[in-house]
Order: sequence, then C-alpha cells, then structure tokens
Amino acid sequence: MSSSAGRRGSLSRRAFLGTAAVGAVAVGGAAAGGIAVATSGGGGAAPAAPGRGFRGEHQLGVLEQPAPHGLLAAFTCVDPDRETLARTFRELSDELEGLLSGRPAAALDPALPPADNGVLDEVTDPGLMATLSVGASLFDDRYGLAARKPRELVTMPFLANDRLDPRRSHGDLLLVLQGKEPDVCLHALRRVMRRTRANLVLHWLQDAFTRPDAKPRVGQTQSRNLLGFKDGTANPDAGDAELMRRLVWTAGGGEPAWTAGGTYQAVRVVRMLVERWDRAGLTEQEALIGRHKGSGAPLSGTAESEAPRYDDDPDGERTPLDAHIRLANPRDASTRGTELLRRGFSYSRGIDGAGLLDQGLAFISYQSRLAHFLAATDRLRGEPLEEYLLPEGGGFFFVLPGVTRDGDHLGRSLLTGMP
Amino acid sequence: MRRSLSVLALSAALAVLAGCSDDGGQVRSEGGGSGSGSTGSGSGLSASDLGTQSSNQDVTAATNQYRTYVQGEVTALRAAAKKFTDAVRAGNVAEAKKQYAPSRVSWERIEPIAGLVEEIDVAVDARVDDFAGVDDPKWTGWHKLEYLLWKKNTTAGGAALATKLDTDLATLDTRLKTVDITPKAVALGAGALIEEVSEGKITGEEDRYSRTDLWDFAANVEGSKAAYTVFKPILAAKNPTLTTALDSGFTAVEGSLKPYQVAGGGYQSYTALKPADKTRMQAQLAALSEELAKVPAALGVA
Repeated sequence: MSSSAGRRGSLSRRAFLGTAAVGAVAVGGAAAGGIAVATSGGGGAAPAAPGRGFRGEHQLGVLEQPAPHGLLAAFTCVDPDRETLARTFRELSDELEGLLSGRPAAALDPALPPADNGVLDEVTDPGLMATLSVGASLFDDRYGLAARKPRELVTMPFLANDRLDPRRSHGDLLLVLQGKEPDVCLHALRRVMRRTRANLVLHWLQDAFTRPDAKPRVGQTQSRNLLGFKDGTANPDAGDAELMRRLVWTAGGGEPAWTAGGTYQAVRVVRMLVERWDRAGLTEQEALIGRHKGSGAPLSGTAESEAPRYDDDPDGERTPLDAHIRLANPRDASTRGTELLRRGFSYSRGIDGAGLLDQGLAFISYQSRLAHFLAATDRLRGEPLEEYLLPEGGGFFFVLPGVTRDGDHLGRSLLTGMP
Repeated sequence: MRRSLSVLALSAALAVLAGCSDDGGQVRSEGGGSGSGSTGSGSGLSASDLGTQSSNQDVTAATNQYRTYVQGEVTALRAAAKKFTDAVRAGNVAEAKKQYAPSRVSWERIEPIAGLVEEIDVAVDARVDDFAGVDDPKWTGWHKLEYLLWKKNTTAGGAALATKLDTDLATLDTRLKTVDITPKAVALGAGALIEEVSEGKITGEEDRYSRTDLWDFAANVEGSKAAYTVFKPILAAKNPTLTTALDSGFTAVEGSLKPYQVAGGGYQSYTALKPADKTRMQAQLAALSEELAKVPAALGVA
C-alpha cells in the first residue's frame, strides 16, 4: 500500500509520539524527535519545539500507513461570525496538538469534572493520528469565506448509484481520527468535542477499521475489504515525495494561496451487500473486480505485483472491459498522473430493517485535484459491481495544510488576512 | 429522565447523610408568585440580599430561598394541573388539549427536586418507553393522558387517570414539605435540568403526541436559571468568570427560544423548530452544561 520510504517516514514520526507519551527525559526525547522528524522530511518542524507529533508541512494521517482503527466525525459549525470561527479553529488545533504531542491534561480540583476523560490512562503508545478538513458548506454566506474556497471544492453530488442520506453526508468540518485501538479515537473525539461544545455540533459519525500491512510494499498489500478482495494494491508510492507532490498535495494551479500543503479528500461511505456478494460465484466476483481473489493478481497476470495489462486485450476477453479496476484505471495515457491515494477503511453498523448486515467501505481518497476523483467515478458509472454497492454517505472536503511553527494553527492561513 | 434523576436523588441523599438538614424548619409556603405564568422571564427570584453573610450561611440561605421557590411552584402546579384534569373529567377534549402544556410548566421547572420523590415522578411523568406498551395499566400520568387526547382524540378512560394525577401531585406537595433540599441537590439540579433538555426535549420525544416539547424546554431552562440565580451572588464573589459564562449561556439559550414564543403565552409546536436552530440550540445547551458542571465545586458543595 505504501513504500518502504513512506513507512520509514510514518513509523519514525509515530514512534516518536510513543516516546513523547511515555514521558522520556524531556531533553533526550526532544532530540530524538527532532532527528526523527527531520529524517521523515516532516518539512520545517523545529527540532526542539513542543508538539512535534502534531507539526509538519502536512497533517498526519494522509501519507502514513493507516492505523487499525478509524473514526470519521463530521461537524456543523454554529459560530455566529468569522471571528468566533477563527477562535474555534485555534481551540481545536490546540486540543489536537495537545493530544498528538502527549501533553498531560491539567490536574484539577477533584470536585470539578476532570480535564481528561481517563479512557487512555496507562496507555503509553496510542498511535493517534488526526486529519482535519473543511467542507464546501463552510464557504457559504455565513462566514464570508467564499473567495477562499478551494477552486474545485463542492458539496458531493449524487454520483453513480448513490442514495446519499443527508444525516450521514457532508459537513462543515471532518475530523478523521486513527489509532491502534478504537478507544484511542473515542478518547480524542471526546476531548475535542468538550473543547468546542459551544461551536461544533456533531453531524455524523462513522466507526472504521482496517488491517494495515505489517511490512508495506509498493504494488502489494495484505489488506482486504469486506468483499474479500485485496484493496490498495495499485496505490501510488506514498514514500515518493515527488510523486506525492504531483498526485496528492495542492499547490498553485489557480488555487487560493492558503491551500498549499493541503489536499482534496473524497469520502464515500459505500454499503456492500455482503450476503448477496457471498452468493456470487468466484469467477463472477473476479470478473467484476478484475483481479484474482486469492492472490490479488490482475486477471491479466499471475502475481499481485504485476501491473494489469489491457493493451493486448482490447475486447476484454481476459479482463472484462467493465471490470472495476479496468474502469477505475485503464492504464493508458488518458489517466496517467491522475492516480488517487486511497486510504479506505471497512465499517460495520449492525443490521438494517431487512435483517441484512449493514457493512461496507468507508472509502477515503486524497488527490491534488478533485477532478481526478470525479473522472474516476465517472468512468465507473454503471459498472456491474454497482449491483452489490450502495453509496450512502460521505462528502468532499479539503484537508488543511499542516502546522510548522509557533503561533501557527490549523486553519490559520484560511482565516487570517481577510478584509 | 428517570435514570439521571435517580442518580441525583442518590447524591442528594448522601448530602443529607452528611448533615445539611437544618433548613427543614424554615419551610415557607407563602412563597411563589412566579409559578403561575407560563412565559415568565424565569426565576422571579432576587438574591441580592445574600451578600453580607459568610459563605456557608450564604449557601444555606440561598438554598432556603430556593425551597420557597419550589413551594410556590408546587402550589401553582396543583392549580394548573386541576384546570387540565377538570377538562378531562368534563370530557372536553379541546379544553384538555389547551390545558395540557400549561399544566406541566411548574413541574418541569422543579423536576430534579420533585424527582427526589421518585415514585411520584414515575406515576405522573413516565413515558410509554418505560412500559410494555400503550395499554400497560401501570402507565399513568400526563403522558398517558396526552396519548389519549392526541392519538385517540378522546377523554374516554381519562377521568380516573386525571384524578390520580391530582392525588399524586397532592402527595408530592406533602412529601416535598419534609424532603431535605440540600445545596448540592439544588446545584446539581440546575445542571440536570439542562441535561434533560439536551437529552429529551431537543429531540422531541418528551411530548411526542402533543408536540408541546418547547413548553417543557423553556420551563426546564427557567427552573435551571432559578436555581442558578439563588447562588449567583455567592458564585460571582468566588468565580466571576463562571457567572459571566453562565449569564451569557442562559442568554444564548433564551435568545434561541424567543422566536418560538407565541402571543398569549406558550410556544410553537416542536414541528416548527427549524433544523438550523435546533443545531445551534444543541451547542448552546451543551456549552451551558459544561459551565453548570462547575457550580457545585465553585460553591464548595460538591
């Protein structure tokens, strides 16, 4: 799913978080962290500054190997004006910085409610990551931010065979939390919500999980979605900084200056009709996806790491023309340079009214242009696999640039310098 | 909500054990005057004469003042309930529907304290969720009558329920005269009322047949403010940041409710509540709850 270089970067960054949380001797910890961040290319993070786990040119949780558990929390902003909204971003950013850098919670008079909920007491290495993004609705007439809207950011329309539930779609803000265990995400969510009670109202919440690769390699994964197929084999190399600059990070291109270092985030909560899928023949399943189920190899080859070949199969005899991976990425000149970085999770939400399992894929992709995602979705429209899928929620968001120095905070570049 | 109230009852009982019982002889039943209106500004209390005493005496005096408020509300409650139950007994559906929401206002203002008499709370204010179904004979009180009036459009079968409601409220009146109302119960009650709004009123589940939830919402807020108001001079001296936050918190919630007031008293139907207003109210209530959670510690009664 991601390269060794990407893994090295993320591991060192997260390993440092562990060190910080254990509360190693402050000076030694700071030095180690500084080295780790510098090696990871964390981009301008001051070695001895506090909050190292939080800081970087980009937010944590995009390029890094996913954590086993995720929580997607979309919020509605109720601040009456831009000034209050700016304060909310400062508070939210500070809370995330405290959580990610292992800042101890204040010890209060025991007669008062405690500052921390205690859920993670004695957990020394939560492996927390947090990624904050903004939705198109934040740029409506409430805060006068229309001129600052990322050029391509729109409210996610109904795509393909969508049945978007407004109670599970869109939002002014999206916070994607990741951690080694589910309670890591819940702990952070409760802390963030408590800090922003008057300002942010939870709009929707989605639990998520995945099985990240122990040893990630480009072109291979052991991570499978709930259809039982490997998911992420064809992901671009997240450790290739130059490639990520082109495919993931937004810069220039007529975008507002504040967006540099951010990325477009497409979230699709896609229900999978798993009972029905389990009744489909193996050959049929493989034809719908375009890969062998067991090995993950493309139908055009025998090994997972082989790139799919379609040039010698114009009529779709080996790989059907409407197979999922062939439509998503036809591997020709038309789509080169538009690959998405996928960071999806599985989810399970109990049973529906018909007694069927309510499970699926919380698809998340990051891309420098939303147009890349929309084009891929457009190619997939009407694919036969749709019979087993029902997109029910999610939204389009823009991930805020990271925080690199004192006095900076998430959302600062978006909200300052306005008339 | 019965569960949260029983927690409160427990903590109140513990406070009694700790010994805050010298206010039992200071019951004054002549108080009130704030309880009969349904759209009043709130507490009707003035706590300005409390400033010169030492802190403990202040807290005790404030609690006694609150007890007077409760007595006034109970008196008003029985009178308002009787108008409702009379209409039910007379078989007048339209009049009964009109009197339903006003009959609950004083109850909702003092609910955490009234909930100290737990069996009365269950008898008069339980919702169908606590029972096997709408035909469960153990289900009595306001919401059973609400069900008959709005879902069945009848008073048939209601007379006995109406009379039981009157009797239960008379029992409440008697029992509250001897129940210890501790400073801690009052301080926690202020917070509990706003939790009630956040959990049950804002969702529209309290008055699901009549859609008069906003009446109860407003009464909960008024009752919470009344409890806060008796303590405010003490809090202001100890922690002015907290009183500033609480004042603006109440002002924000009241400001959001105001557009839903109707001429002649009362509130619009819950169905009129705009989604954006509801979302903003959720945040305002939650923020107010965070501040109210600091009150017991600030008063030194936690």
